Parts: sequence; structure tokens; C-alpha cells
Amino acid sequence: MTAVAALTDRMVRDSLRDDLPFAIVAPAGNFVVFNFALRNVIDTGGMSYPQYLLPVIIIQVMLLGALTTIDRAARDHGSDFGVRLRTLPISTSVPLMARMLYCLFRGALALLAAIAVGYVFGFRMDGGLIYATAFAVLVLTLTLAVSLGADATGTGIAGAGIAGAEMGSSGGASQLLLVPQLLLVMVSTGMAPVDAFPDWLHPFVGNQPVSQVTETLRGLAIGHVAVSNLATSLAWCLGLLVVFGTLAVRMQKRTQ
Amino acid sequence: MIELNGVAKTFDGSIHALQDVTYSVPTGSVCALLGHNGAGKTTTIKILSTLLRPSSGQAIVAGYDVVRQPAEVRANIGTTGQLAALDWQLTGRENLVLFGRLRGMRRKHAQLRADALIDQFDMSHAADRRVGTYSVGMRRRIDIAAALVVPPKVLFLDEPTTGLDPRSRRDVWDLVSSLSAQGVTVLLTTQYLEEADVLSDSIVVINEGRVIASGTAEELKSRVGFSYCTVSPVNPTDLSRILDVVADLEGAQADRDANTVSVLASDGVATLGEVFRRVEQLGVELLDISLRKPSLDEAFLRLTGSVTA
Repeated sequence: MTAVAALTDRMVRDSLRDDLPFAIVAPAGNFVVFNFALRNVIDTGGMSYPQYLLPVIIIQVMLLGALTTIDRAARDHGSDFGVRLRTLPISTSVPLMARMLYCLFRGALALLAAIAVGYVFGFRMDGGLIYATAFAVLVLTLTLAVSLGADATGTGIAGAGIAGAEMGSSGGASQLLLVPQLLLVMVSTGMAPVDAFPDWLHPFVGNQPVSQVTETLRGLAIGHVAVSNLATSLAWCLGLLVVFGTLAVRMQKRTQ
Repeated sequence: MIELNGVAKTFDGSIHALQDVTYSVPTGSVCALLGHNGAGKTTTIKILSTLLRPSSGQAIVAGYDVVRQPAEVRANIGTTGQLAALDWQLTGRENLVLFGRLRGMRRKHAQLRADALIDQFDMSHAADRRVGTYSVGMRRRIDIAAALVVPPKVLFLDEPTTGLDPRSRRDVWDLVSSLSAQGVTVLLTTQYLEEADVLSDSIVVINEGRVIASGTAEELKSRVGFSYCTVSPVNPTDLSRILDVVADLEGAQADRDANTVSVLASDGVATLGEVFRRVEQLGVELLDISLRKPSLDEAFLRLTGSVTA
């Protein structure tokens, strides 16, 4: 455990100058831009637009944040430092665990920052402590699941010896994964209700994970949530967690 | 100690990085693995430090089999990387504390150990700067220090002096000697014959994945020839005349690009005297005459020659 703590500590120190400030500023930036652009355009019924929007902003920054894990995993795997880690008497899962702890730490900071900026614009957590806790747990579960997927990708890139991965410049993969990430967020009910989309898109828009999870988060924020929606969200999050978690652990093989 | 017995490593079924490598390094001695880029030096180190599995053969490090007891091997070795295997975002001190904690030390203990190493490596002026701002020599020192946080039984140094200025190189040499005096078994790789000569108790020369020679520096030198006598005439057109008069001496050859004639100086200064006498009789004006160590190329040429002969 000392080893996991030491590596997590290292990642936090490494990121004080670049990644962590970004993690804290990103929610505010995203929220402010979308809120001003869309608040008078989209009809969200009885709910104020900040109240409607904040959950998808949180999902958006969590997904974007997870993409930074690709680089971190690739660096840990391919750099001389990472190679040295594999000659130390520590388990192969230690660097992975440290990266995931870092992702959760980063996610928690981003979540707090998002809620803080939301409060400024009128978002409220009206459901009480239990609902608020459930809100945070759901967000962090999704963060962990997506980060595991990103981690497996980064490790895979470094392991395949793709040019530049050793230097930690696996930027290509993060760029590529931006596309599905943006699509999932834009083509969801996160920013606009399903009626805002053409009919033929409704089945996808309504059921895809970002829509389901943002719907659940909105419910948790106001204090009542539909059971079927909660079950779907949990199924998505736990399913991704298992699939990506298995992949990420498998990628940590030490020797060839 | 380190023992390799018939170790081979094949990549992708057809690239033979190592073939039938066998040698041993006694406890507390320094062994230099000498060879060109791509000869198999780093592959050997990777196998011995449990990063690669040998395709066949057996390797024992500090009494443990690298394939069957990798955890025990890892607990007893220290490694360094060619480009300094450190976190460049952290300071030198933070790196040392990190490696201490990764080896199971409590934070306080790791900090004390880092302080001691910083003193020992004379790095107190730079310990709190980021490693990314270090010179190559400073980085190398912290890199080696990081391998010593918990004193290892076996230390692997992959090209520890590549890219260092002569003074830093000398520092690393002194350090390796003192470690070996403390009983640490050291395996280092190098492309420099001189370095292998100065540092090591034994030398293993590898070429294209095979051991082509091994033994003490003295043994190899007697096979490679201790040094070469090199003559440069003032007038390059005299090269062939000089070559004619020394042609019966061992290893005589002319290098027109470098404007030199070289002769293997098996008797050292006496050979130089003989060459000088002959050239003087010829009446050729000389720019330079000197003894020099054989280059790695010359050593390889001699060794591969003596293996096939």
C-alpha cells in the first residue's frame, strides 16, 4: 500500500502544474459556455437550464479527464521510469491502482468545482445528503470505468510500441477518442430534451449511457429518481467498470 | 552473483537477439558487457532484471532464477536506464523518496535515506530542482542513487557513462569501484573498451547476440593486442612507403582518410621504437607517432578473427 500511496502522491505532484489546474477550471469553462449559448434556446420545461445542464457538464469533463489517462498510462508503461517500476519488487497492479486513485482524486476535484460553479448560476442539490452522496458516487463510478478504458488504451499503445508512445506523446489516441466522446455528449439528452432531436434518432438518444446517467443525476439532484432509470444507469456504469476493468488489468502483463 | 547458461532470446520467431549466451559474474565483482549498439547488451540486462523472459536457457541472479523466482530477483537488484529512469517532473530528492517508498520504506525513513544519498552523491546544491533541469551527468548520478536506495546485491548499469563529459564519467567509474568494494555485484554495459578495461574484473564481448570473447581485461588485451602504434607522415603520399617498411609487422594497415599507418604494438613502446627506427631510415618526415588503444572495431575484428581461426 505504501507503494500505491507513493505513486499516487507522485502523480499528484506531477500534475500540480498542468493537469490539476485544468481539471478545476474545465467545469467552469464548459458550464459557462454552454449555459450562455443554450439557456434561452432550449426548452427544459419546469426545470431551470443550469439545473438541467450541470449533470452533462460533469459527465463531459469526466470523459475529457479520462482521456488524459491514456497519456499517463502510456508514459508509465513505455518510459524508462515505467520500465524501472517493473523491475521493482511491487505488484504489476500497483501503477494501475495509483493511476486510478489519481483519476478518482482528479474526478472529485472536478466534481466539487462543477457543483461550485453550478451553485453560482442557480443549480441546487435539493435532495439532501443521501441523494448528494449517491450523485457523487455515480459520477465517480463512471469516471473510474471510463478511466480504466482509457488506461487499457494507453497501455496498449505503449505495449504495441507505436511510434512516440515511449515519449508519452500518445496524443493521437486521445484525439481520436475525442470523437466518440463528443458524439455521446452532443447526441444525448444532456443538453436538450429528446424532442429536440429528429425522430429517427430518438431510440439512440434516449437510451445511450450519457442520456441515462445525466437523467439519473438530475433526479438525484432534486431528490427523486425513477427506479428504471436508476437501474439502467447503474447497469451501464457497473457494466463498463467490469469490461474496462478486466481489460485494463489484463494489459498490465509484465514480461514478454 | 549472476549466471547465464545457454540463454537465448528470439523476437517474433525470427529475430535472434541472443543466442547461447553463457557466462558468470562472481559476487562482488564488476563485469562489463562490451558490444556495439544492437549487439544484445540491453536484451541481456532486460532478461536479468525480469523485464524479458528468455526463449531458452537459464539465468540466475543473486541466487534466484529469473523465470521461476522473479519476485525474489526484483527484491535483490537495482537497475538504471540508458536515459535516466526517473520522473523528470519531480526533484532529485522527490525521486529518491519515491523509490524508497516504492521499496516499502515509511516516508520518514525514505526521506532520511534520500538525504544520505544526496550527501554521498554530492548533489545537495541541486537536490530540490526538477530532474528535467539537470545536466546529463547530474541526472545519471541521481539515477544511480535511486538504484541504491535499498542497497542491492546486484546492480545493473546500462551504458552508465554514455553522453557524460570526462569528469562525470570518472565520477561514475569511482562510484562503481566503491560499490564493488562494498560487495555489490555489478553488471554494466558499455561501448567503450577503455571503460571496460578500467572498471571491470571481467569483460564479456558480445556481437550479434553471441558471446565472442570473455575473460579478464588482461586476458582479452593479450588477445586483442594492448595497443596500436600509429604513424602520420607530413606528406600523405609517403603512406604507402611507410606501409611497405612495416608490412611484416602484425596488423599493419594504412588508413588513407585518416592519413595514418597502424601497426599492432604487441610489445608496446618497443614496437613504437622499431617503427620509428624503420621510418627514420626511410627518411620520411613524420607529423606524429603514437601509441593508442585499439578501437572497439579493431578489437572486434581481432576477436571475431580469433574465434573463426
